[in-house]
Amino acid sequence: MSDEVKSSNYWKSLNELAQNEEYERFVEREFPEDATELKDGFSRRTFLRMMGASIALAGFAACRRPVQKILPYSKQPEEVIPGVPNYYASAMPFQDALTGIVIENHEGRPTKIEGNEMHPASGGSSSKFNQAAILGMYDPDRSRNVIKDGERSSYTNFQSFCQQHFGDTERNIAFISESNSSPTYNKLKDQALSQFPNAQWVTYEPFGEDNALEGTNMAFGQRLRTINHFDEADIIVALDDDFLNPAAHKNSVQNTKEFTERRDVETGEEISRLYAIESTFTVTGSNADNRLRIKSSELGLFIQALAAELGVAGASGGSNKFSGHKWIATIAEDLQNNRGRSVLTLGNEHKPELHAMVSAINASLGNTGSTVTYHQLPYIEDQNSREAFADIVNGINNEEIDTVVIVGGNPVFNAPADLNVGEALSKAEHVLHLSDYYDETSKIASWHINRSHFLESWGDGYSYTGARSIIQPQIEPLFSGKSEIEFLNTIITGEDAKGYDLVQETWQQNISGNFTNRWEQILHDGIADEDNFPEVTPSISSEFSGNIGQTESEGIEVVIRPDSKVFDGRYANNGWLQELPDPMTKITWDNVALMSPKTADKLGIEKAGLGVAEVEVITIDVNGTKVEIPAWVQPGHADDSITVTVGYGRKGLGRVAEAVGVDTYPLRTSESMLFATNVNISKAGRLYEIACTQDHSSMEGRSLLRHATLQEYRDNPDFSSYQEAYNAELPGQEWATEHDADAPLSIFDAIAGKDYPDYQPQWGMTIDLNSCIGCGTCTIACQAENNIPVIGKKEVSNGREMHWIRNDRYFVGDKENPKAMHQPVPCMHCELAPCEQVCPVAATTHSDDGMNQMTYNRCIGTRYCANNCPYKVRRFNFFNYSEEYLTDGGDDPEIIQMAMNPNVTVRFRGVMEKCTYCVQRVNRAKIQTQIETDGSMKPEDGTVQTACQQACPSDAIYFGDLTDPDSEVSKTKRNNRNYLLLEELNTRPRTSYMAKISNPNPALTQHSTNSNNEH
Amino acid sequence: MSTNYEYVPEPKLIKGDHTFGSITDLIAKTPLSSTPPLWYLAFAVANLLLIVLLGAVGYLIWDGIGIWGLNNPAGWGWAIINFVWWVGIGHAGTLISAILFLFRQGWRTAINRFAEAMTIFAVMCAGLFPAIHVGRIWVIYWVFPIPNQMGAWPNFSSPLLWDVFAVSTYFTVSLLFWYVGLVPDFATLRDKAKSKAAKISYGIAALGWTGSFRNWWNYEKAYMILAGLATPLVLSVHTIVSFDFAVSLIPGWHSTIFPPYFVAGAIYSGFAMVLTLMIIARKIYGIEDIMNIDIMEKMNLVMMVTGNLVAFAYLCEGFIAWYSGYIYEQGIFWLYVVGPYAWGFWILMFCNVITPQFLWSKSIRRNVTLTFIISIIVNIGMWFERFMISVASLSTDFMPSSWDYFSPTFWDIIIYIGTFGLFFTFFLLFLRFLPMVAIAEVKGVMPQADPHNYDEHTNEFIEAKAEPALAQQQKLEQKNQQV
Repeated sequence: MSDEVKSSNYWKSLNELAQNEEYERFVEREFPEDATELKDGFSRRTFLRMMGASIALAGFAACRRPVQKILPYSKQPEEVIPGVPNYYASAMPFQDALTGIVIENHEGRPTKIEGNEMHPASGGSSSKFNQAAILGMYDPDRSRNVIKDGERSSYTNFQSFCQQHFGDTERNIAFISESNSSPTYNKLKDQALSQFPNAQWVTYEPFGEDNALEGTNMAFGQRLRTINHFDEADIIVALDDDFLNPAAHKNSVQNTKEFTERRDVETGEEISRLYAIESTFTVTGSNADNRLRIKSSELGLFIQALAAELGVAGASGGSNKFSGHKWIATIAEDLQNNRGRSVLTLGNEHKPELHAMVSAINASLGNTGSTVTYHQLPYIEDQNSREAFADIVNGINNEEIDTVVIVGGNPVFNAPADLNVGEALSKAEHVLHLSDYYDETSKIASWHINRSHFLESWGDGYSYTGARSIIQPQIEPLFSGKSEIEFLNTIITGEDAKGYDLVQETWQQNISGNFTNRWEQILHDGIADEDNFPEVTPSISSEFSGNIGQTESEGIEVVIRPDSKVFDGRYANNGWLQELPDPMTKITWDNVALMSPKTADKLGIEKAGLGVAEVEVITIDVNGTKVEIPAWVQPGHADDSITVTVGYGRKGLGRVAEAVGVDTYPLRTSESMLFATNVNISKAGRLYEIACTQDHSSMEGRSLLRHATLQEYRDNPDFSSYQEAYNAELPGQEWATEHDADAPLSIFDAIAGKDYPDYQPQWGMTIDLNSCIGCGTCTIACQAENNIPVIGKKEVSNGREMHWIRNDRYFVGDKENPKAMHQPVPCMHCELAPCEQVCPVAATTHSDDGMNQMTYNRCIGTRYCANNCPYKVRRFNFFNYSEEYLTDGGDDPEIIQMAMNPNVTVRFRGVMEKCTYCVQRVNRAKIQTQIETDGSMKPEDGTVQTACQQACPSDAIYFGDLTDPDSEVSKTKRNNRNYLLLEELNTRPRTSYMAKISNPNPALTQHSTNSNNEH
Repeated sequence: MSTNYEYVPEPKLIKGDHTFGSITDLIAKTPLSSTPPLWYLAFAVANLLLIVLLGAVGYLIWDGIGIWGLNNPAGWGWAIINFVWWVGIGHAGTLISAILFLFRQGWRTAINRFAEAMTIFAVMCAGLFPAIHVGRIWVIYWVFPIPNQMGAWPNFSSPLLWDVFAVSTYFTVSLLFWYVGLVPDFATLRDKAKSKAAKISYGIAALGWTGSFRNWWNYEKAYMILAGLATPLVLSVHTIVSFDFAVSLIPGWHSTIFPPYFVAGAIYSGFAMVLTLMIIARKIYGIEDIMNIDIMEKMNLVMMVTGNLVAFAYLCEGFIAWYSGYIYEQGIFWLYVVGPYAWGFWILMFCNVITPQFLWSKSIRRNVTLTFIISIIVNIGMWFERFMISVASLSTDFMPSSWDYFSPTFWDIIIYIGTFGLFFTFFLLFLRFLPMVAIAEVKGVMPQADPHNYDEHTNEFIEAKAEPALAQQQKLEQKNQQV
């Protein structure tokens, strides 16, 4: 029995049961006809009705009810206790960097990903990509079959093809690989190259660190990985580098942790200062103390001017427009004062010459070896990958290569447009493509092999810094996919070896002593060792010249960046990520052309107002290549610069990604990997609807997000109190003081009449705005934990987003060049909750442990509670979102259902929902404590972590028992930065905030005021 | 100072040269004669709208509240606006029949039946909305305190629950009041009806009314008691409806002025609606002698007073927003005036504040066409008042990050329009089958009902002014004396 049939029996039982011709046609058709309109609430239902009808028909024709029987275990598997999740360590590869993760499993079904505390790239936290990976695995649109020339085939057939085809080892083969640090994979790569003497191997990533590696090659004469130690740095200069964003830096979680560690004002030490010089308003830029907006095409000039100011050898280069700039002198002075304690970091896609220059500056400041270290990567090819890739494409075009093996990746979609990889590949005789989806490249390939997800397969690899881990599968491949090592192995050996054996084989060579013990230990811990890649102390090569080869750019530039959610397009079919508001624009389900208000004025573009945003579409014309994309006004963007992100505008990839956004890759050529300068912009003359979750960005003079500079904080440590924020006494404070009460008197005190029992813990949360970077990981972690449905663009556009924790982004200060600040808002769990008082059926009430709870069964859906919630955290099921979301699989409705957390109720249409403080986690811990301690209900501090808290890469969220004066959360409540949101309403929230502290350079700060101008 | 007082007699309430008999004929002829074709046409249109309403509500229940334009900050939209609007309209009837009855305002008799009918149908339209606007209509009965095995009880501190009781009580009392008033007229119709079906139907409805002294005595007491019961309800219903908003903490809602302001607004809109309907009906049914210009002017006066009370409330709200120093209240006021819904605010100001000022002019008050136009403008204005309160306040409240803009969908609009179908279906049935003026009551305010039996000036008995029975008795006495 082939694998495919086996999988069908298990996962497609419903269809296979009904051997109905109509249904078979339906299954065969890759995407149901109406599926493309899935994003629209109405047509989605139409689609589901059709889908439902098909299933019903199928069932009827077969005279079988499509119901799976639930049977108890006849023999209980070891270690599986129904209702008690198991946790397994593994690691998630992102390009060539692994992040340690721990996966929650319910009866053999992975449901949630958390960071692995023992792993340096995670430290217990995770990124949004880590969080969303679980939905990626349960994506019913992932490729399910081996496809040969468009026809369904099987891996057995592929195997026999390989045995026959690769029997001829003299073939001209080109391997195009993703970036991969796996020792097993690289062993197979070496094996392949030695077995096939005429083979070439190239690594292509549309957004990788190729230029950075080339930069170190220019500066030091060897390709080295740059590791910045933000926890050691007093001064950080981020040069168009969004190092806190997982889409821009593969080690963002560790970066974030290190960065926020040095921003902690509680230690009493000076906090670090971050300068950001960038075109796009990035997450990192929003966390900068001082931010300068310049065009990306002129960043080289800035770096050159800075290097000249700092007297970096070889960087004389004459003066340019930035030479006399106020910033150059100020930063240079600050850097000189902190020699050896600063980091200059440059965005990956900038030219190698700039990377070399930044390395040289770091070296001249004495940062090399302390805050910036360089490491040898054991697995990279000693070549300029981008050039090598172009050469290979050239070779394919010249028909010098007959077989192209593409291991992962999607070059037809994401390679530079001028290479025209699609056309080249169609000239190759054989194209073998391993991929998650039947994507743009698969359609051209002669063989498409469906890839297994990292949660389904064995693997290994290095973290960004060099810690080794083994990736262990959590579940049998849902669609019988093959991992990249199994795929490569089949090509080399013609065998269908198990990934497990291949990985073990590699590790047997690396492990001394008792293999089984060590192996099990590594699997258990999720990490083999915390070693770093070998560090080298490079010196500037004699060939290094300070020539950066950039001139002032005229007119408007277009900057092309990876998307903060779908990255290079690989996550395009992930509903959680698509629906996550972008950290800076708050846009979901689309990519847009970002521009500053001034540039927008020039182009005649208007800013979107309240409500459904219908924005102007512009045509971006780069050397004759035209792309039409909606324009979005983003305060803080550099003038004369337009940012677009890639990865959207997919066709036939999957139901979620279908026709979402615009494909901007055509604008990206070998010459314009980061920016294009020869650009014409015109209005396309039509409007386009954008689903943005935050329509208004000014605080309107309300002190919702309190912030101060370090100096202001030192001068006035109580600046975040109500009294200081409004220069007025808190209403009712006088009475409270007189009566020695904790809070002002409330009419509801008597009605609530609730004394919280002392044998119960009293839960509270604090969000440290000084740590929060606004990345949005909490939102996805919450979505994964709490079974929050994906509702689609139309519904988000209608203002019905379901996220239980949202991230508010406010602009403060100058209209053109504001500061941006982030404020996550979950339910406040008010002690005197306004929502509870108005519910006619008492569906929302207080628990003894101080949580505001929703009883979904009791809710009749008047929405009065949501109206009366001043924090606007309640979410209503306007439609039967969960049903639609959970049957998205259509032909396989169980698949997304498997991703659901069994401990959280799936909400029905017409009921209200909201943050529960992860009550399922709280109660599990309480029960456990009760069992262990003979009756105490108070779990030890730190035992209960909410999903948002656990995922947060900057550890900004504290949660715990307020009755325990030593708990972390109690300490934060006593902190002088602690304040309550809308305290004057006397709702007595259990969630509070700690004010944000910034450390701007006084020399660059125009007017540091708390004024919140209208935007 | 002159001391020359002169008694200015009230103008006659019923114009024309009517006798009791002609009044009975005038009113009773509509239910007892055959149906005019125009009525069929109107009824068809109303029915069509009613079917549209039922279809739209069916689809709403099938598909979910999401078919409306509601969003996260604006959890209440047209449904609640329409609810408050219709309840407000429903205020005129009981006010006219109960409060004016207790104040012995004779002119009420011309319109009380008509206005009460309007009230009942308006409250029916209103009552539809709280039911259909919930997410799970199939468990709507949970708002009632029905003992159940789970011991789940409604939350008595929720204004929505107060609403349930307030509106249902109001509806019940209004209906009873209306019915009690109808009993003598049912008897009249029973007696005058020719067809057997009509005789039986009206007979059942008349509850065996014989017109005996005892009947009348009971009737008057019951009517008085019900008027006493209904009077506080007139004030309480809209007070409690206003609590839905006032008890919450949303800026623009949380205001102690809401109860009187809502009651004034409700009377304002109710009178406007009565005027709109009355001006059409009096023409079509030729009852201009009863629903005459004097009555219209009196109603216009009530509208002018309540309209200015409402305008004063707006002023107070603005003042308090400024005076309180409460930034959110100030914020919402500023947003009303210049914010995303400023267009609604200015429509409201024009309709509700500017329009009633025209009523200071006596000639406008007595001009049927202008009154009709004003009455419609006032009801548009009152709809926008509720729109501004519920939608504008919710859309832009405490957290600017959550601000959004509410736009109605097709379904919001069609359900609102559909309620007119519901209203007019019932109202047309009322006009067709029931006496649209309280026959018995209106006779009571005619000169013939004034049993002076003598001339005011000569103090001599005048047969023409006397009740027939009295006249006969007088004659008999005179005869006896002669004998």
